[in-house]
Amino acid sequence: MKKLFYFFVISLFLIGCAPQNKKELIIATNQWIGYTPLYYAYEKGYLKKLNIKIINSVSLAEAADIFRIGQADMVTTTQHEYNSLKKSIHDIVPVILLDRSDGGDMVLSNRSITELQKADRIYAYLEVDSINQEILKDFIKHSSLDIKKFVFINKDQEQIQDINYKKELKKKKNIVIVTYTPYNTSLEQQGFKEVASTKSIDSIIVIDAICTTKSLLENDRKRVVALKKIIDRSIDEIKENPKDAYNVTAKYLSNISYKEYLDSLKNIKWINKPSDELLEFLSKYHYTKESIIK
Amino acid sequence: MKTLSIKKFSLLILAFIVPTVSLLFFDFYLKQREITQELIKTNLQSAALSLNHFLRKNFDPNEIGNIVSQLDSRIITNKAISSIKIVDENNHIIYTSQQLEKSLAEDDKCQPITNIMKSNLSKVSCYDFSIKHYQGLQAHFYRVIIGLNKEYIAQLQTQEAKRMLGISLLFTLFFFILIYFLLERFMIKPLEGLRTYAYYSEYSPQKFLIKEFESIRYSLEMTFKRLRTEQENLYNLSTKDPLTGLYNRNDLKSQVQRIIASAKRNNNHFAIIFLDLDNFKNINDSVGHHFGDIILTKVATVLRTAIRENDVPARIGGDEFLIVLPEIENERSVIEVVQRIKEQLSKPIIMENERYNVTVSMGVALYPKDGEDFNTLLKNADIAMYEAKELGKNNYQFFTNKLNKSVQEKIKMQSLLSDALQNNYFQLFYQPKVDIDTQTIVGCEALIRLVDPYEGVISPDRFIPLAEETGMIIPLGEWIIKEACEQIQKWQDTPLKNIKLSINVSGLQLEDRNFFEMLQSNIACIESAKLDIELTESVLIQDFNDKITLLHKIKDLGVTLSLDDFGTGYSSLSYLRDIPFDTLKIDKSFIDSMEENKIFINMIIGIAEDLHLNVVAEGVETQAQLEYLKDMKCEMYQGYLCSKPLPAKEFETLFQSCSNNS
Repeated sequence: MKKLFYFFVISLFLIGCAPQNKKELIIATNQWIGYTPLYYAYEKGYLKKLNIKIINSVSLAEAADIFRIGQADMVTTTQHEYNSLKKSIHDIVPVILLDRSDGGDMVLSNRSITELQKADRIYAYLEVDSINQEILKDFIKHSSLDIKKFVFINKDQEQIQDINYKKELKKKKNIVIVTYTPYNTSLEQQGFKEVASTKSIDSIIVIDAICTTKSLLENDRKRVVALKKIIDRSIDEIKENPKDAYNVTAKYLSNISYKEYLDSLKNIKWINKPSDELLEFLSKYHYTKESIIK
Repeated sequence: MKTLSIKKFSLLILAFIVPTVSLLFFDFYLKQREITQELIKTNLQSAALSLNHFLRKNFDPNEIGNIVSQLDSRIITNKAISSIKIVDENNHIIYTSQQLEKSLAEDDKCQPITNIMKSNLSKVSCYDFSIKHYQGLQAHFYRVIIGLNKEYIAQLQTQEAKRMLGISLLFTLFFFILIYFLLERFMIKPLEGLRTYAYYSEYSPQKFLIKEFESIRYSLEMTFKRLRTEQENLYNLSTKDPLTGLYNRNDLKSQVQRIIASAKRNNNHFAIIFLDLDNFKNINDSVGHHFGDIILTKVATVLRTAIRENDVPARIGGDEFLIVLPEIENERSVIEVVQRIKEQLSKPIIMENERYNVTVSMGVALYPKDGEDFNTLLKNADIAMYEAKELGKNNYQFFTNKLNKSVQEKIKMQSLLSDALQNNYFQLFYQPKVDIDTQTIVGCEALIRLVDPYEGVISPDRFIPLAEETGMIIPLGEWIIKEACEQIQKWQDTPLKNIKLSINVSGLQLEDRNFFEMLQSNIACIESAKLDIELTESVLIQDFNDKITLLHKIKDLGVTLSLDDFGTGYSSLSYLRDIPFDTLKIDKSFIDSMEENKIFINMIIGIAEDLHLNVVAEGVETQAQLEYLKDMKCEMYQGYLCSKPLPAKEFETLFQSCSNNS
């Protein structure tokens, strides 16, 4: 009886002393080939060990909204969303660099640039308030197009993807779509052709990174560092065994084919282990190198 | 340390437990409240996110009417939201729900929706976030304000608080009552029952549910049972005689005291019979104590059957029994019982084919005549019993005052005797033996006297039998011999140097194995022929052969022997033949009635003459007696005619005066 009592008391003590599971961290993300390491790590269960979950939204903007509202602790962004979020969430910081778009962001059109230069009116489908906007502006500038001829239609990438362009083209002769991989695949299948991309446009660089708040980084740095290691490991495994990575992550990428998957991967460059020069370069986008985990 | 009843202790514990439980409930309530707030916040967060997504895709300030119904429906479907308002960069209202109009002033208290999880719902009235609307690629910012339904939120929490408070109060009350009931039923009552049982040792409580209490109850029950048995055994041991099962002396005493009290109240009489087995010591010595015990048990059985129903039999000593006969009418009633006992005991006891006759002597004392308390009655019954033994045993005697007087005398004498030697109360008196022819004193008989400081001189008749009975005759006899020898020694160089001194020796002295050595050592310093030992015929009756040998040895020492009181006992001639007597002493009774006994006196003198023995006539008191003895050629006489027994000094004076006259 006495032993049972001691066992009970010691058990209570041990239970009381046992470390409690850390609060679940949520990463708001969206569909982008550059975020494959996150999907991969999540599906492989690597994130579960850190009690990290991902929420997949339809656009970068929605992911940013989720973070802004406070329903996510971390968010995947390009420099555009990062800077936009910084206006309302002042202590947002980039912590893990993922990829640089190297053709992954592109401008599609049913016309050539020459034809577009001659057109009276051009309908541009894009996700306004995203990197799409930057790319489009840059495209207009570099292609010597007149911005006044443009009619901007603000849609998220899923909406853009779902538009029946055959019908649309009856009314709108000249269409420009700013999109990114893997959404480009279905659009290209409808006859749109790439007229510009981050590969061909030197003046713009698109950086994808995981951002969080400064306070979270300070309070939970170990977990963030562990997350960085998982990302590194996932990227390595994706590189080593792309087929396996494809099988695991295809559902997050509108179930594109393995070939399309491999092609998409070619349009990005992993920058998870950035050089000092890159970090220096990124500072002009307000990416503070102190917060970035190398 | 001050003691505390278990009831109070339990209440104290409850007084501690109940607030603790209440605190736990309160803590639980606070957590629940926090959870409720979290849920409301999450709900608001989701609503804001949904609204944000909706507005991102559908907001056009110029076509606000298209989304009004959808905005309104969000307020209706979400009770936590009281209003939605959209304002432009210049704070112009683009859209507002009706409810918000009243509380426009409160907009300043709005918190950014980003901070919702950290904010306190009770201190915030609204949350806001910004949305953009693009005209071309030109972004215009708008602020969306979500007003909180404070009343609903407060109600949610208050309801929860009331519910929790109610539950906690009910639970606490129920818990209190339940615990109190359980404590009362299973702890306090059993403990009280055990306390009562432990105090009164009766009315064992019924079995308890709690194992430990049941163990205590069972242990107490067993202990009390054992104690009762031991108590009973102790009571029997203290009140009953273990061998016979009769009452013992202690219990009898208390019973007699009760009977005395009752007799006093009712003016009744009762009797005590003191019963002692005759010669029981012989039975024990000859057949063994085991048989003695069987005899005692049989006697007890006889007593039980012989007495009346309310009579009280007891064993008060080895072979001593006592029977109390309460409420007797007269002595006849006692005699009936005594006779019954005698009759039943007269049947022989047969053991191992041997028949044993057991007889008893009984003494009876009556209340109140012979005593008014237990000890007096017991003593007097004992006296009566001894009298019965004295009278030949196997009979009974009632206690009488005369008997009491003689016993008192005996007791007094016993007391006097026990200290007399040490205190020099004994003294030898000397009665002269006179030669009838020459009228000179030729000898004397030393006679012992006890000189009581209060009573004066006490004759040996009063104490010698007692000395013989108590065995004191042995040291007393030794003292006499020693004293006589010293006297002979004292007279050695005086005119009394030829005086022969006679002493009396009892049969018990002769039976003493040290007697001869003692005599031998005492006469070593005197001329032994000057000492004469007088023996009576009765002394020689028992163990005659042994005594002949001893007397021959004494004779060989040179001491002369006289046969005292000759003619009164068996007067066996064999004594005269076998024992080398030197002198015959004619008993005083012959001299006292000389006329009637002349023939016997002549005969004794003749025998002495024929046997060449000296003759001394005792108790000569008159001249006529002396003349006759002279005619009969009796050699010596002893008696008051010459002198009564005198102390040594007076005897010496008498001797001197007689010598001078002759």
